[in-house]
Amino acid sequence: MRVWLPPLVLAALLCGLSAGMPALEPFFQWVQPDKQRVIYERDSFLFLLQNHLLLVVISAAVGTIAAVAGGVFATRPSGRDFLPLVSQVASIGQTFPPVAVLALAVPVLGFGEAPILVALILYGLLPILRNTLAGLESINPAVREAGLGMGMSPFQVLLRVELPLAGRVILAGIRTSVTINIATAAIGSTIGARTLGDPVIAGLVNGNTAYVLQGAILIGLLALTIDSLFEALERTWDHRFSPQGAA
Amino acid sequence: MIELKNVTRRFGDTVAVDNINLTIETGEVCVLVGSSGCGKSTTLRMINRLLPHSAGNILVDGEDIAAMNPEQLRLNMGYVIQGTGLFPHWTVARNIAMVPQLLKWPRDRIDARVNELMTLLDLDPTVHANKYPQQLSGGQAQRVGVARALAADPNILLMDEPFGALDAITRENLQMEMLRIQKQVRKTTVFVTHDIDEALKLATRIAVMDRGRIIQHDTPENILRHPASEFVENLVGKQDRGLKLMSLRPVRELMNPHRGPKRADPGVEGLREEDSIRLALSVMLWRGLQEVSVFNAHGEETGVITRERIIREGA
Amino acid sequence: MPVSRTLQRRIAPNRVIPVLAGLALLVVWSLDFGTIQPNRIVPGTGHGLLSATGWFGAGAVTLVLAASMLLSVLPLGVRYVPLLGLVGLSLAMLPLLLEVFAARHLPEGAPYARSAIGAGFWCLLFLLSLVLIEILGRLRSGRGLQILLLVSIGGSWLLLLRGDGLESLSLVREFNARPDQFEQALWTHLALAFGAVAISACVAFILALKMIRSPGWQRPILGAVSFLQTIPSLALFGLLIAPLSALAAAFPFLETLGIRGIGWAPAMLALVAYSLLPMLRNTFVALTEVPDNLVDAGRGMGMNERQLFFQLKLPLALPVIIEGVRITTIQAIGLTAVAALIGAGGFGAFIFQGLGQAAMDLVLLGALPTIALALMADAVFTMLAASLRPTPATA
Repeated sequence: MRVWLPPLVLAALLCGLSAGMPALEPFFQWVQPDKQRVIYERDSFLFLLQNHLLLVVISAAVGTIAAVAGGVFATRPSGRDFLPLVSQVASIGQTFPPVAVLALAVPVLGFGEAPILVALILYGLLPILRNTLAGLESINPAVREAGLGMGMSPFQVLLRVELPLAGRVILAGIRTSVTINIATAAIGSTIGARTLGDPVIAGLVNGNTAYVLQGAILIGLLALTIDSLFEALERTWDHRFSPQGAA
Repeated sequence: MIELKNVTRRFGDTVAVDNINLTIETGEVCVLVGSSGCGKSTTLRMINRLLPHSAGNILVDGEDIAAMNPEQLRLNMGYVIQGTGLFPHWTVARNIAMVPQLLKWPRDRIDARVNELMTLLDLDPTVHANKYPQQLSGGQAQRVGVARALAADPNILLMDEPFGALDAITRENLQMEMLRIQKQVRKTTVFVTHDIDEALKLATRIAVMDRGRIIQHDTPENILRHPASEFVENLVGKQDRGLKLMSLRPVRELMNPHRGPKRADPGVEGLREEDSIRLALSVMLWRGLQEVSVFNAHGEETGVITRERIIREGA
Repeated sequence: MPVSRTLQRRIAPNRVIPVLAGLALLVVWSLDFGTIQPNRIVPGTGHGLLSATGWFGAGAVTLVLAASMLLSVLPLGVRYVPLLGLVGLSLAMLPLLLEVFAARHLPEGAPYARSAIGAGFWCLLFLLSLVLIEILGRLRSGRGLQILLLVSIGGSWLLLLRGDGLESLSLVREFNARPDQFEQALWTHLALAFGAVAISACVAFILALKMIRSPGWQRPILGAVSFLQTIPSLALFGLLIAPLSALAAAFPFLETLGIRGIGWAPAMLALVAYSLLPMLRNTFVALTEVPDNLVDAGRGMGMNERQLFFQLKLPLALPVIIEGVRITTIQAIGLTAVAALIGAGGFGAFIFQGLGQAAMDLVLLGALPTIALALMADAVFTMLAASLRPTPATA
């Protein structure tokens, strides 16, 4: 149970800070003495946080489903032909800088939440896809063969044997993907998505360091919260599925 | 009973299994033996439809397997492979319970069956049931593999080089174990190996395969005595066939029996009726004896085996 | 037997290329191939493939895609070599289609009118590249061929884009409007990214040696650098502004050096911070995972510690370290683009400027070179690592 403490504490801190930012006005006044307004007020921080989180969660969910489905397809007998291409694309795609992908989405899809969601899904899909392939490919073929030979259907082998065995690696891929997407969603406020990047961008444009600081702190906290959540998930997974004392 | 009729398997242009006919009677252990690439594993994997056959028919108890649901077919065939294929994320008990669970047995029946099988295979349930496969030795893991295959009491047991990756001593132990278990459960078994000694030890009948064909299908004794070709002759070893034959025959066959079982004198050592003649000769050579007493399972002396008769009629 | 197997596989139809080519046919006929804009900002009118390039262009595209479909399914002995020629040539000639488009549709006597690339063209480019990757994979081609191909396709693009026929392309217009800025952005981008990589390489090497000498430091050091990696780039840039401007305010001579809350200083600091994790992890793993038996063998044959390090450990570790440099460089090139938000310059400046002005082709002028840089860095370091690997990698 102790593994869940850090994400809980961080989440509480994140929500508290988002809700109670105005209470810190004296501090920001000290940081930025020459400005009238030192607390970002165009949107509430809670709204921005919620929107930011929503973008990341939706893109992670869609990306995970698509990537796992793609990875499973490319490792089935019917999809084997596509395996080399899919794994090449997964690795070449990751050399594309996320900002550039974000920027490319705008000419095609315009400004707003839609292009950023598409960019986040597409880019976030790659690490998950790569790990899904790695996880499924690393399973000892004898295990799959035994499952089939004992009378499991291919679907049962996938569901009960392959996915649980590859799960830990897939989870690590989701973690990487979400970490990248939190950062990319923040930059997304330059293309009109309303995220915690807004105060930072507004602050940079107006030369208001207080705004920048508020946005940056919340983004950082959000990233740490989610990361510690995944840390806890991975620990729980390890505890649940691998034997104590085994290599 | 398993019947293969004119079965062929092609991979692209290569013919892996070439028009073979093979009948495996109920309750016998048929060992497919040959060098790697001879088609023996392919043949085995066609029986449970892990590979489709390109031509011919395979019948199990008279029914063509091509018409059967592959999962249903496999649920009634235990399958043991080299390197065990145990699921690393499941405990030993859950691995063994796999097929009963697929067949939706009630919980307590599964538990009882797992306990029974672990005991049969000489694994202490209290010690090993909750271990994970990685925590077992190679021999233990393979025992679990056999237990898993026997779990739902299938009629047929398919074994693909199950002991191939084990060290010599562990392998020998498991072979003995298998003979013992086979005596109790009498499964129709198809066993694949490249080790002719393993084949001679375990088989009721051996099918020697080479380049996709069955060269000879006969009892171990006939394979040794009347090899069908030079290939088989080389496989069984031209020179030490005599010793191999002796190791097939039990002492019972060559002993001079007493008129009735005698109470053994205390302290006298001897052989058991089912020990091999080869062992009897070895004991005599080592101890410098001309004859050794033979005992039955109850410890009564039933006869004597002599060095002279072994030399004369042993092989 | 192996001979007939490979023959078999060569003749077996390829199912991937028809899918990709079919998809390409679908999108190229359904999406806008290009648009004509009356000026820089006003969104233009779209043209489909047929309208944009006429029967000749549309026919050529369709023919190429259909031919590659056929080539990949017909039972041929040599399939991939002609496919490679066809697809490679098509990719190299792709800008010609834009040239045809501009020649057909650009109004006479309208100096501000420009042609812009549409989604159909981008999708065609993307799918053809995938086909090329698939072909190269099936051919098991060596790196040399791949590089040669990439260079000739890239060269042909540059040549065509610099020619007169594509002068009206808005991407080219954006470039022609600011060639000096572009060059400056290139150097700034390279300096920031490679500067950060170089600094972090040195720091990571020292930290790795420290971690090897005193294992007690492993957890805190790795913990700290992975913590840094978790913080999103925008946040880290933002968090550095306040302390650096305070520093500059307190020590005015720093400001004359360019160290301020915004600009290259916070950018460089953040880039180095991000680069530490991949660099350190690979360097540490590389230096610690030299097999013990090799070290023992070396020691047993009389090598001293210095010789062991330079003649055994370092050569074995180098490919893994280079792999770390590769990951770090790609990451740094991407993050440098973000650093433009705090005034560090580089290609990111074009991206964000373009986003601000809703000038999409300025965005492209920033995004495309950033991607190109990342891909080139990937190729160069992959080759370097491969050439340094002690045993030549087979297959």
